[in-house]
Amino acid sequence: MNTIKNRGMMLGKTLIATTVAAVLLAACAATPVKPDGAAEARDKLTQLQADPNLANRAPMAMREADAAVRAAEQPEVDQDVAAYRVYLADRKVDIARAQAETSLAESQRTALSAQRERARLDARTREADAAHLAAANSEQDAANAQQAAANSEMQAAELQRQLDLLNAKPTDRGMVLTLGDVLFETGRADLKPGAAENLGRLVTFLNKYPDRTIVIEGYTDSVGTEDYNQGLSERRADSVKSYLTRQGIDSTRVSASGKGMSEPVAGNDSASGRQQNRRVEVVISQPPAASL
Amino acid sequence: MNATSHAHWRSLPRTAVSLTGMLILAACASTPPPPIASLQAAHDAISNAERVEAGRYAAAELGEARTKLASADTAVTEKRMTMADQLAQESRVEANLASARTADIKAKAVNEEMMRSNGTLIEEMQRNSGDKP
Repeated sequence: MNTIKNRGMMLGKTLIATTVAAVLLAACAATPVKPDGAAEARDKLTQLQADPNLANRAPMAMREADAAVRAAEQPEVDQDVAAYRVYLADRKVDIARAQAETSLAESQRTALSAQRERARLDARTREADAAHLAAANSEQDAANAQQAAANSEMQAAELQRQLDLLNAKPTDRGMVLTLGDVLFETGRADLKPGAAENLGRLVTFLNKYPDRTIVIEGYTDSVGTEDYNQGLSERRADSVKSYLTRQGIDSTRVSASGKGMSEPVAGNDSASGRQQNRRVEVVISQPPAASL
Repeated sequence: MNATSHAHWRSLPRTAVSLTGMLILAACASTPPPPIASLQAAHDAISNAERVEAGRYAAAELGEARTKLASADTAVTEKRMTMADQLAQESRVEANLASARTADIKAKAVNEEMMRSNGTLIEEMQRNSGDKP
């Protein structure tokens, strides 16, 4: 019993001794902890290494930073040395980050250059397309102008041809078509059956050029009284007008007047002169917008 | 054997001389030489940073590198050579950081300029194509 008690006491003493030793050891172990600031440098490095865009860049600076952080983490009794190592570690991590970001920016530049080239190419393509379109347009415009000129020439030529067909002559009053005494029997104002042929061409002309108006003037020779001849010339002019309106020509485009025997074109003392004086003149006006 | 032993015995004074020399050297080592290599390295790193225009882009870092180098020189005059070496090392690393940050800022500026001009180009193109669809 006594021995057991002694043994118990000895065990107790041993335990105390061990505990004290352990505490002392722990105290010793606790003293050389990592220097101040080393953990912050490690955090910065870890962040950098965790960034997938930066981790594999600037490998040399990364290795130097890693070594510097590990050196800073070594327990160090000398506070100045510890601070010095932490300082180097911190700056080397910063250098590694700056170099990695520079490298990233440079690699992004390749993509930016490619984008710029694409944009420039697109711009040039569009410019070229626009130039082509403009060229095509101006060619078309030129062709249109040529066509218009050709058309207007053709129209002018056609008009001349029509006027020639009518046997119209240019005068101060415009184009004048003289219908001889083929239209009427002597002393009568109704059209001869053959007159339709002569007037048909005038109808065709007026239908073709709807902006033209005409003045119909009747003339006689000097056989008979002046009043008679005046009345006859008026009736003959009216007769031509009503024929034209019956053929569909708008009556507003046609005016008719009698000039009687007042304006002979030849002497009335011969049969041929009197024949020339018996006539109907058709004066063809210029169109309002005299483009032709 | 005998000759060798005799020769060994004769060389004793020489050993004494070298020992004395070593003692003198050890005495010299107690006031260590200035950290010339570290100081030169710091100086070179600062020159390099100045050449890449760190004064414009990383003025704070360059300024600190200069201050550290000046402190290192002061430590040399005070014969505190270990501190001088540490300050010179810190100055070198700080100057290198100034250079690295300068390069980073320049690289990013180039990219931004490219992005801006690309944006302008693309915008202009879209405007043109909007006018003439």
